[in-house]
Amino acid sequence: MLQYILKRIFIFIPTLIAITLLGFIISVNAPGDPVERMVRPSIDDNAKTINVVEEKRAWREKLGLDLPVFYFSLTSVSRPDTLYRIIDKNEKEALDRLISIYGNWDAIQKYHLSLNKFYFSQLSFVADTNQLRKYDKNEVLETLNQLKFEASAIQGTYDKAVIEVKMNKITSLLKSYPFLEKFKSEFEIVRRDFLLIEKTSTPWKNYIPRVAFYSYKNQYHRWLFGDGGKFSRGLLLHGDFGTSYVTRQPISDVIYSKIGWSLFFTMLSVILAYFVSIPVGVRAAAKRGSRFDKSSSIVLFMLYSMPSFWLATLLIMTFANTDVFSWLPASGVKPPLGYPDGASFFEMVKISFPYIILPAICYTYSSFAFLSRTMRVSMLDVINQDYIRTARAKGLSEKKVIWKHGLRNALLPIITVFANVFPAAIGGSVIIESIFTIPGMGSEAIYAIQTNNYPMIIAILTITGFLTLVGYLISDILYAIVDPRISYN
Amino acid sequence: MEEQKTNIDKVVGKSESNQDFNFKKFAWKQFKQNKPAYYSYKVLIFLIILAVLSPIIATDQPLYCKYKGVSMFPAFSFSNSCEIKNEDRTIEKIQYDIAEWKHLDATTIIFAPVAYNPNKTDYNNADYVAPGGKQIFIDKEGNEKPMPTKFRHWLGTGKGGEDVLSGLINGTRISLSIGIISMIIASFLGILLGAMAGYFGDKKLQTTRGSFWTMVVGVVIAYYYGFSVRSYNITDAFADSGVAVLLQLFISLIIFSLVVFLFYLLGKQVGKISFLSTRVFIPVDSMVSRLIEILISMPLLILIISISAIAKEKSMINLMVIIGLTTWTGIARLTRAEFLRISNLEYIQAAKSMGLKEYRIIFKHALPNALAPALVAIAFGVASAILIESALSFLGVGVPPSTVTWGSLLNAGHEQFSAWWLVVFPGLAIFLTVTIYNLMGEGLRDALDPRLKK
Repeated sequence: MLQYILKRIFIFIPTLIAITLLGFIISVNAPGDPVERMVRPSIDDNAKTINVVEEKRAWREKLGLDLPVFYFSLTSVSRPDTLYRIIDKNEKEALDRLISIYGNWDAIQKYHLSLNKFYFSQLSFVADTNQLRKYDKNEVLETLNQLKFEASAIQGTYDKAVIEVKMNKITSLLKSYPFLEKFKSEFEIVRRDFLLIEKTSTPWKNYIPRVAFYSYKNQYHRWLFGDGGKFSRGLLLHGDFGTSYVTRQPISDVIYSKIGWSLFFTMLSVILAYFVSIPVGVRAAAKRGSRFDKSSSIVLFMLYSMPSFWLATLLIMTFANTDVFSWLPASGVKPPLGYPDGASFFEMVKISFPYIILPAICYTYSSFAFLSRTMRVSMLDVINQDYIRTARAKGLSEKKVIWKHGLRNALLPIITVFANVFPAAIGGSVIIESIFTIPGMGSEAIYAIQTNNYPMIIAILTITGFLTLVGYLISDILYAIVDPRISYN
Repeated sequence: MEEQKTNIDKVVGKSESNQDFNFKKFAWKQFKQNKPAYYSYKVLIFLIILAVLSPIIATDQPLYCKYKGVSMFPAFSFSNSCEIKNEDRTIEKIQYDIAEWKHLDATTIIFAPVAYNPNKTDYNNADYVAPGGKQIFIDKEGNEKPMPTKFRHWLGTGKGGEDVLSGLINGTRISLSIGIISMIIASFLGILLGAMAGYFGDKKLQTTRGSFWTMVVGVVIAYYYGFSVRSYNITDAFADSGVAVLLQLFISLIIFSLVVFLFYLLGKQVGKISFLSTRVFIPVDSMVSRLIEILISMPLLILIISISAIAKEKSMINLMVIIGLTTWTGIARLTRAEFLRISNLEYIQAAKSMGLKEYRIIFKHALPNALAPALVAIAFGVASAILIESALSFLGVGVPPSTVTWGSLLNAGHEQFSAWWLVVFPGLAIFLTVTIYNLMGEGLRDALDPRLKK
């Protein structure tokens, strides 16, 4: 038996790795630049701009974005291995697109370096006061800002026509303001380098594939195993999912505080569904064609097709509405002010109980309907078998025949569908938790999507995938325990 | 044909005496006898007609209008405006989508049965007017009047005065098309992969070692030329329009399949080299089963919202593709099981011994007999796709915010409980549609299962 369980766990490992890969692929393709969101917006000022660049660099290192994405990548001969080191996402894309047009990294790199030099020398520009005397102070600031704007616009552009227009603008600016004299030569170099790109272009290089290998120092490896405790402890080993883009807190802290309620409702709903559905299903099957069978079939079928968000809204509208019945609270899991000081566990349960009723109904009803229908069908199968007829012929009471002899064998299919019920309950939590504002993982997932908090989304996807796998494992083991015909080898 | 017939007889458990037996006719008869399923089928046809006609049933542009001697058909017209020459030679331009049709001095004007657009506001009846409540109409002179019957909001209005009935009718089109199109994608994938996995198993698809590895390299290189090299073309197309995306993807797919085909031809030659000519098996079944296992081990709703969170554009087409790509597993599993059974039957063995090509056996002889369970799964799949779509629009995730769907109407009702009509009617619409698909699925299952024959 132990051997069997170990074997099952062993089979789950590749699936788990695939889940992490899928989550990772989604997170890498997420739109927007996370660093831009982490850096606090500041007043546009030269001194601060340099600080912002440093801060961006620090965040990039902390989030691991200065590393290559994966152990290897499929790329072209024209692309360098080091493009991932560029900090700004727009700049990186612009360079990559330039490569995909012209295909000569050497010239593009030269152009990029000279453009950067030009840009940073402007930032540290202190104008000679003698020269500036004839200009208005505002005019000088304005001009410098414009120059800076155009230069940074060129950094994020790959369209030749746009770059040329911007370059002409800069040239005319440099011409009309003599105090900008010292930039002229630097800008001439940028211009020359840009022209050189087109002259020496080798677009055919883009069509030769190449596999680039990177070391274990990549984003995926770091995400799974951490980087030795410097910034991240790693996903699989220590449950570190990275930093939330919204609160800048570790994601694992948020998840630990939220997973409790989700698991509580999921387990509660699964247990409740099993406890109610087995008697209902057995009774309907035992009295096939009776009024109970027919009416329960219709009700169960309707429940099965009922969208949970509709039922939840209807329930709140009826039982938590001051206009109709104000019996139960509409949202949350505890009073807005929290529990009274020094409340014992029992008192806390008592206070929270009314809050739990409506969500628990919504969590339970669909799996209840599904389970009852499965139970009825499997019981019908069993009832027609020979050994049940034998039991009846022996003169056993109908009650004993059904509940003792029939039920045991009819339970098998219902145990296998545990593997369907459990993920459905976890998935359903997204809707129900956000309707009832339960502080669980489901409502956190929706909040994360509204705020584009991708690391959180991926963490939740991975955790729910892991929980589902655990659900499958449990159902496999239960099945092996209940059915002695299954061999463990 | 002969083999097929014998097989059908086998499936049905009938003896050879009944030669004229037609399984399709029989199944249809069984289906008809199942009253709930049959009525669901009729309701579905009604809903499809409603969905197709919704642009002319619920729109604020009149079906026909005669104004200053000019006849117009705004609801049917592709152009959006009409120019009318006045007597004093000035030109009056009527823009169909923003014209005040209800105040127009037209000679004759025929409005649509529901004379409102789903997302257009009627400020005179804003702030949740009940279906039976007092609705007002302000005529051209600015006088307040009770609402004329033809302009009534039959199912009330939303916060900004949006007509609920119009939203429901247009939502029918969205829900049905999402359900049906995503299931077309899912069943294509599911049936293809399930058939391959079930028919070939792990030990039937043989090839030479040389051509196997040539194909592996070929697929990688085909991906490179089809998608890696063209990645910016595809990204730019996404910013452009849906047609451009389809065009670029089509070009990429053609390049991909061309390269794969070239490598297939190359592999045949490579396979003749002595060391590389060893026969190896391709474990199709294991590969497909692992893929299914990975997909089903993630809760569907969370997977779908995670994927739709990274889609740059929120559009219905994206949503259909995402739902289709994630829900094919059920269909594939059933098709696989059916193919496992069928591929061992005598008529398939006979077809093989006659030297028929594999793809011909799969698609012409095995597939028609394996479709029944997949069909049932597809019917249930449409129901769950509709549920997923309405749940997503209820949560406001992955659907464009301007589109009015059943889910988004329900969400509006969730904000204001006194507006019960915003909760009850859209919810009923979802419930009804899901129920009829589920009933039809059950009916199909019973009708196609020969063991239940009466």
